[in-house]
Amino acid sequence: MTAPAGIEPLFAISHNTLVVACGVAAVGCGAGVIGCFGVLRKRALVGDAAAHATLVGVALAFLATGRRDLPVLLVGGFLSGLAALGVLVLLRVCTRTRDDAATAIVLSVSFGLGITLVSGITARGIPGGAGLEQFLLGHTAALTTADAILLAAVSAAAVLLLVLSLKEATLIAFDSSFAAATGWPVAIMDYFLVALVAVMVVVGLPAAGAVLVTALVVIPPVAARQWTDRVPTMLLLSGVFGLASALFGVAVSAVVPRLATGPLVVLAAAFIFAVSFVGAPERGWWARHRRER
Amino acid sequence: MQPPPREPILEFHDVTVAYGRRPVLWNIDLAIDEPCLFGIIGPNGAGKSTLLKAALGLVPLAGGTVRFFGQPFAEVRGRVGYVPQRETVDWDFPVSVSDVVLMGTYARLGWFRRPGPQEREIARESLARVGLADVAGRQIGKLSGGQQQRVFLARALAQQADVYVLDEPMAGVDARSQDLIFGVLSELREAGRLVVVVHHDLPTAAQWFDRVALIDMRLVAAGPTAAVLTPQNLERTYAGRLDLLDELGRAVEERGRTS
Repeated sequence: MTAPAGIEPLFAISHNTLVVACGVAAVGCGAGVIGCFGVLRKRALVGDAAAHATLVGVALAFLATGRRDLPVLLVGGFLSGLAALGVLVLLRVCTRTRDDAATAIVLSVSFGLGITLVSGITARGIPGGAGLEQFLLGHTAALTTADAILLAAVSAAAVLLLVLSLKEATLIAFDSSFAAATGWPVAIMDYFLVALVAVMVVVGLPAAGAVLVTALVVIPPVAARQWTDRVPTMLLLSGVFGLASALFGVAVSAVVPRLATGPLVVLAAAFIFAVSFVGAPERGWWARHRRER
Repeated sequence: MQPPPREPILEFHDVTVAYGRRPVLWNIDLAIDEPCLFGIIGPNGAGKSTLLKAALGLVPLAGGTVRFFGQPFAEVRGRVGYVPQRETVDWDFPVSVSDVVLMGTYARLGWFRRPGPQEREIARESLARVGLADVAGRQIGKLSGGQQQRVFLARALAQQADVYVLDEPMAGVDARSQDLIFGVLSELREAGRLVVVVHHDLPTAAQWFDRVALIDMRLVAAGPTAAVLTPQNLERTYAGRLDLLDELGRAVEERGRTS
């Protein structure tokens, strides 16, 4: 029996596909864990600004090296993400633009710049440049084993750093003025937490793309919050939700060719969110509805 | 040989604070020499909370100095316990009551060290002192406003400080919690601690505090409560709000009768 055209048989999963799936699952897990502090510190959109800005760095890194080498492109993306966050801070401090407006400006302008660069590269037919638009929506099928291992290692390192400083991060996210009065360097810790989010956004690019990767650091934490009243449990659940979403995206896009991974990951996360929002004990809509009756 | 003159526990010298270019506190000179219950009193927008935040380095000074035990705050942080305003945090945050109280021990623990049995014991005792031992495991959003304020007080107790600085601890707090908080603050004073409280309610201020400072962007008067809360001083602080003053007059009289 032959498989229908366009769909590979499920059992022919290659070694590479398996490694890539594991790597992307690790990224989803890490993004879920790190994202918790973006959400708890009420900075959910900051990651989005960084994410949209990564495209500029990816394109510039490609232009500079002339190769589509994932580590190099991601370093470029990370640097331009950080630069965007720097501009965000400057806008706020120097022009007194409000937070939401500043975020929207940085996000749209840097994304516009990134798209211009990427489409320019594609239009001029620079060899190897055709694959760059995969960073827009995510495309895991193109990942190599080495790429996947790198992504997983960076995610693991980010999670390790956060878990080590969990006490400090929780204190600052909950009550920054008490933290400052008792001698903790609140500004430095804030930068550290935002930088961790930027790292996860960058390693999440192959899985979800610049447009959607923010969903990986926002949706799993918000869903996890529904089920628990403790930060450590929230981190754990959020990691599991992120992992499951990423795995779903990788699996479906591996089986159905030319389907971008990012939208699938986001849809899976949204499904988990919907279930959590309705069905979680105590905080869920259904439980609250029953209590009110 | 003469012993060196004792430094004031808390001293503001010519403190000026501005938000942007708008000054909110002018040339505050204030020294507190003895452990007591000290009230910082004044109308809304007088800069009372700003004065506390300036003392704790949370807002920059445009001029002047603040000293605790004759030293800059940064040198003696560990001896100062802080209770911020309740509205400054998100009470839906996923932490338990005892998690919050444990935060009072973090500064002593330092980087990366987790609270151990000793810290948990301190947190338990602190919670018991404010009457919340039985809700230690609860998420903080499930408490009443008065209980939340007591959690913040317990966290400050867990700091095991020599000076306690409280920002509006009685705002939006039920009578039982007010009594409990005032009781704990009195105990601290008996134990030789200085307790500085920003407070907006005049009648209760007259009952509770040993000494007060009246503030309306400038220091109007400071000293023993009965000597400071005079009609003339209050007139200068709360210009034109006489109904308030009548109420206060009764409260001061009542205090005179009971003590």
